[in-house]
Amino acid sequence: MTDVSPWTTNPDPHAYPPANGSLADLLERVLDKGIVIAGDIKIDLLDIELLTIRLRLFIASVDTARRAGIDWWETDPALSSRAARDALAEENARLRAELDTLRDADAATDPATDVPERVG
Amino acid sequence: MSGTRRDTVTYAFAVTRACPPADALAAEAGHDGGGPLRALPAGRLWLVVQDVPAQAFGGDRLTARLNSPDELESCARAHHRGVEAAARQGAVVPFPMATMYLDDRNAVQAVTDREPSLCALLDRLRDRTEWAVKVHAAEASAASGGAGDAAGAGATGGRDYLSRVSARRRTVREEHEKALAAAQAVDHELRRYAVAATRHRRQSEQLTGTRAPQLLNAAYLVEDGRRADFARALARLAADRRHPAVEISASGPWIPYSFARPEREWHGSCQEARA
Repeated sequence: MTDVSPWTTNPDPHAYPPANGSLADLLERVLDKGIVIAGDIKIDLLDIELLTIRLRLFIASVDTARRAGIDWWETDPALSSRAARDALAEENARLRAELDTLRDADAATDPATDVPERVG
Repeated sequence: MSGTRRDTVTYAFAVTRACPPADALAAEAGHDGGGPLRALPAGRLWLVVQDVPAQAFGGDRLTARLNSPDELESCARAHHRGVEAAARQGAVVPFPMATMYLDDRNAVQAVTDREPSLCALLDRLRDRTEWAVKVHAAEASAASGGAGDAAGAGATGGRDYLSRVSARRRTVREEHEKALAAAQAVDHELRRYAVAATRHRRQSEQLTGTRAPQLLNAAYLVEDGRRADFARALARLAADRRHPAVEISASGPWIPYSFARPEREWHGSCQEARA
């Protein structure tokens, strides 16, 4: 089967992709092409191929997951900054709860543990 | 800008000859957290820029953000939107993503320093658009090796097995060669309708998400007046029964990112730019 994108139905000369081009096509162009005139701010980009592969895998997994009704990418801290914040908040809450438990336990056992020390 | 410590930096999208309409620029969102898109006069040219927060776009911070897939995507799309807004009024020379200056003055200086070559490039890109064409080996040919194996499964003996294996290898190699030749033929034909052509690095199967190997990842710069001819040639090639070994896909018109390069490289661009 041959896949020719529906660009032929787009007569507007000023409408540009990525409406029908893939994200990899877009990255290939905006990251790697265009005339380079030295900017003041340098950024250290990984290999374009690596970046695009990473993005492609991310999108592929999101698509697959969505079809399966899974939304792990929204809760995986490595993939979402919002999830990262949620994870931090969650960890914070858990640690506070643990701390409270320990404090309570400590307060309850304090007299018992103190006595032998003072005596000893 | 106020004070010595800058809150924003000047992010440059593209250069044009005519000042892009202010409403078209204002309507584009640009980068998250940035100001409205603006056009700066730079000699005979115009530079489309946006003030973006220095904190989010400073070197290390931006590098870290671009390593996150969703931020990379949103940044790339924002860049493309800015270039697109600049292109409303004619030819543009796009800059690569993340071309930034400490202030407007530096940005304008960078453009005026290169005014003659940018003007020449704008002339070459005027009324021309880029078309992306990919050729993949047909999925069916990748699977044909397995059928022979199943058919010969009843046969016994090591010698039989080895001859089957080597026959299958030969078939696979021949099919690959046939597909490569078909991809070359497609490229050759499309170049007839283009003023320039260039090849991008072939995308890996991991990147395209298909099992079929990519044989050609090309870009063609097509004159607006020949666009219909190019499209017809593409449709003809796609329907051509002589090329059953390959699948052709195309997208466009693109802003000619792949052809925005210095003059000295441009003349050689009809050759393969990158294996």
